[in-house]
Amino acid sequence: MQIPWRAAPRAALSSPLTLLVSLVTALLLSFVVAAAVLHSSASGSAAVDYQQDRLCTDALHPSLESSLPQDQVTPFFDDVRKSVGDQPVLPASYTREARTDFGGKLTYAKFGFRPGATDHLKVLEGGGKDGLWVPKSITLTTDVQLGRRGMDGKLPPVTAIYEDVRDPLDPWWCAERQYVVPNTMRKDNDLVTSVVWLPDAASFDALPPSLAKVVDVSVRFPSAVPETVDQAADLLATGTARVQKYDDMGVRVMSPLVLPVENARETVANVRSAILPLTLISLLIGLAGVATVTVQWAQRRHTELRLLWVRGSGPAALGGRALLELGLPLLAGGLLGLGVAQLLLPVYAPSSALPPGTTPVAALAVLAVVVLSLVVTWATAAVRAHRVFQASTTGTRARRVLAAVPWELATAGLGVWAWLRVQDSGLATPVKIGGLPRIDAAALAFPLLVVLTTALVAARVARWALKASHRVSLWSKPAAQLAVRRLAAAAGPVTGVLLVGVLAVGTIAVGTSIAGSQKTALEVKSGMFTGAESVVRVADPVELPAALRGNSTVVGVSEVNDRMALVVDPATFRDGAFPHGLDPALLTRPLRVGTAPTGEIALPGIPKVAPTAHVTSFPKLGTAGWVVPRDLVEDPSDVGSWYVWSAKPLRELGDALSDSGITYRNGNERSRAIAGLPFLTIQWTFGFVAAIGAVLAVVAAIALLLAIEVRRRQNALSGAFSTRMGLRPSALLSSHLLELGALAAAAVVVGLAASGVSSGFAVPKLDPAPRLTPSPELPNVLPLMGATVVGSALVVLVAAWIAVRAVRSARMGELIRG
Amino acid sequence: MTDLYDERPTGPQHVLRLREVGVEYRTPAGSVTAVSGVTLDVPARGITVLAGPSGSGKSTLLRVLSLVERPTTGGVELRGAGTARLSSRARRALRREEVALVFQNPADNLIGHLTVGDNLRAAAQAAGRTTAVDELPAQLGLPGTSAWKVSALSGGQQQRLSFGCALARGASVVLADEPTSQLDAASADLVLETLADLSARGVPVVVASHDPRLIALADTRFDLRNGVLAA
Repeated sequence: MQIPWRAAPRAALSSPLTLLVSLVTALLLSFVVAAAVLHSSASGSAAVDYQQDRLCTDALHPSLESSLPQDQVTPFFDDVRKSVGDQPVLPASYTREARTDFGGKLTYAKFGFRPGATDHLKVLEGGGKDGLWVPKSITLTTDVQLGRRGMDGKLPPVTAIYEDVRDPLDPWWCAERQYVVPNTMRKDNDLVTSVVWLPDAASFDALPPSLAKVVDVSVRFPSAVPETVDQAADLLATGTARVQKYDDMGVRVMSPLVLPVENARETVANVRSAILPLTLISLLIGLAGVATVTVQWAQRRHTELRLLWVRGSGPAALGGRALLELGLPLLAGGLLGLGVAQLLLPVYAPSSALPPGTTPVAALAVLAVVVLSLVVTWATAAVRAHRVFQASTTGTRARRVLAAVPWELATAGLGVWAWLRVQDSGLATPVKIGGLPRIDAAALAFPLLVVLTTALVAARVARWALKASHRVSLWSKPAAQLAVRRLAAAAGPVTGVLLVGVLAVGTIAVGTSIAGSQKTALEVKSGMFTGAESVVRVADPVELPAALRGNSTVVGVSEVNDRMALVVDPATFRDGAFPHGLDPALLTRPLRVGTAPTGEIALPGIPKVAPTAHVTSFPKLGTAGWVVPRDLVEDPSDVGSWYVWSAKPLRELGDALSDSGITYRNGNERSRAIAGLPFLTIQWTFGFVAAIGAVLAVVAAIALLLAIEVRRRQNALSGAFSTRMGLRPSALLSSHLLELGALAAAAVVVGLAASGVSSGFAVPKLDPAPRLTPSPELPNVLPLMGATVVGSALVVLVAAWIAVRAVRSARMGELIRG
Repeated sequence: MTDLYDERPTGPQHVLRLREVGVEYRTPAGSVTAVSGVTLDVPARGITVLAGPSGSGKSTLLRVLSLVERPTTGGVELRGAGTARLSSRARRALRREEVALVFQNPADNLIGHLTVGDNLRAAAQAAGRTTAVDELPAQLGLPGTSAWKVSALSGGQQQRLSFGCALARGASVVLADEPTSQLDAASADLVLETLADLSARGVPVVVASHDPRLIALADTRFDLRNGVLAA
């Protein structure tokens, strides 16, 4: 290798600014690509986590359930243990309800055994582990005494009385819910009691046959909770293989992870395809940045390149010269970008758990981007050398053609196509129960395409305006005239900064707006769906205990087919119900909600009244139903069911009711009421969009500062001349503030306007659950606007300070001498 | 194009020959003729000066002679071989092996971040020469400067080093564009000495200049006026 090429990496040190800019450009570029890979993979982990949170973590491994004769229970468990080898097994067996004699009045009871069960119960009396553990609910129906043996001494002695297991459950009981949680409503023969726990398997086997005619068994396989899609898929696959034998034998196999794994994979695909367009746009911007840095480098190294060319070096070799000087910072920037993407994962991604192999894939993507950057560097330098030295053309024709191509028409066309996709099938109904609605990546690209089109139009208009700006004569306001001339003199960088600035502000605003709208929509729709923060069913319209007064209300529900009416207490309804902009006075009379038919309400327990008041939506009812004040209901027991709605979490609601001796069931809470994964998918996607916007904002700020720094000499010379000719320093500062402020203001105003319009149209359409009210709405964007304006103002101040400082510290003689 | 040379036999006495060379540039205002119908032979020995006022086309003609620029019309012959139909790659190869061009500004002829010695070595490497260049600084009147940065030299010393680089390359012909125009009188004297020295070594030198002292050194002189060779 010849000396000029060999010495190139060291030569890079002669311009630290070029080094720094190359490094930062590569850093941002590789950050975007690496973050896209990591974010989409992390979204799978977040999807798994979200769904697991709604499943029983004690039974994520496929488990077995069956009904067997009593004498086959132990052999079945032994066989399972033998066939699964080292895998831990947690079997449970339950008899059906049977009339049992505990020494007092005969009562219904069912018996069960699950190793470790007594460690997860709250003891009220006694506590010996060598006898029966009887639930409190049974002690209320018959006379149970510690030490007494029931069924004429055939049962072990009672050694403990425990508090019935109730919602919300300890996770250890989650999968056994159907066996261990009693039905406290005691209506319609739906009688299921809490379990009387036996001390060991042998005592269960020894139960009198009259109590254990049929035994329900469950076998869970405790396993580590998977954190990633791959781990969940592995658990599902290995678990399914383990229990395949029993599936073939007709034993029920419960595989709760099947759908979550599918959904999580779909989420990854959805997020990946949705962030792809913006990632590609950012990649192109980044590569354009690399090309710009190379062009600046070529300008700086012009004499050396010309000398080498005159001495016989070709464009390819001169491209190599660029590569050797700029390659190292590009490589270092790429590595740093990967590191930063990994470090900031908790900040921008929905989960920090990455499937194995994700980081190497991200590293490969970064490597590809770095290679691409190196190719762009080499090609830019080579093409420029060819054009400047060899072809002796200025390249203005190609540039003119590129500038004349109406790129904005192409992006606008894509935007229209994306809008049609939003209209037609932006988010369709799920094709299977529990599945995700199909998310159309093209539809999600609509707001971004609007922002991109607007940015291109803004850049073109700015170019035209700057071209025509020589007609402007504002010498009565020298600061303004100087600002306009400086902008016009740097039309290229100015339009470039404006383009990236509009894109940055627009993507940040679009990302934040849509992510925020989905977050709010999920919260509000869940609240409207459940009616309150937490809800439990109670037997009768109970009197609220003191702990629930002021934060809860009792609501009756009468329902036939898809017609529903609520019976509400106007005095307390707003205390417990999900916040809803409803005039409380309306609750004192019958209400028709949304599209419910006019005329008399015909539902059991509800008085035959014809509501005259109307509201468009109502908690729980959504957009169809009726609301009747409680004092109009003659007999509350005729109303189908009664619920306590509370603004408190489910656990607090349950504790308050239990403490007052009020039994309840069917607990539900807002956060688990509806499957939020589709909302979260869009939220994660646009959260990433906002993150990319932030990166673009950094790019725009650096480009602005760099443009100032590159023009430092010209600025200093013209500024120094102007001040020596009588321009006041304050006017000089004003001119720089005007110049940079106009550019920043244009970027902020156009970016926010584009994002506002596109989000305004897109947000109501991007509704993963259109049947639930209300539709997503734009969040309050004032804080975002404020932050954007403040951030832009700071950048402008710093840039203006750099420019003015260069003038004040300039030595005229040196500047003129060159 | 090569048939232009068929009329006269080529001889070793000419290193470069131009026949009816014209150069036009396209500008936004239209086509501008820089040089028109120039026919001349550059002898294989001595100093040839292209003289003329500013804007007469000296530099353009020098670029054509150094194969840096293709003429719009006419042809250039280097050591008896026509260059009109050569590809860019072949012209580069010729430049690499046969031609050394020295620019007006001394700093343009040197690589600023390299030392004096490395500049000489780089020049030799570019031409594929393995000649030892360690003695060259002393021969150029720059003894002990091998390890110096180029910026440590004066303008005249830098220009001498530029000619040293040409020497290190072992070029068949050295062309220089106004080599003294940016130097003070003392520095210009150093350059004149170097040119004379080069010529004495048998290297043909072509110089575009309007410096009377340099013109006085000429063994052959061509005068240009408005892009045309004066009679």
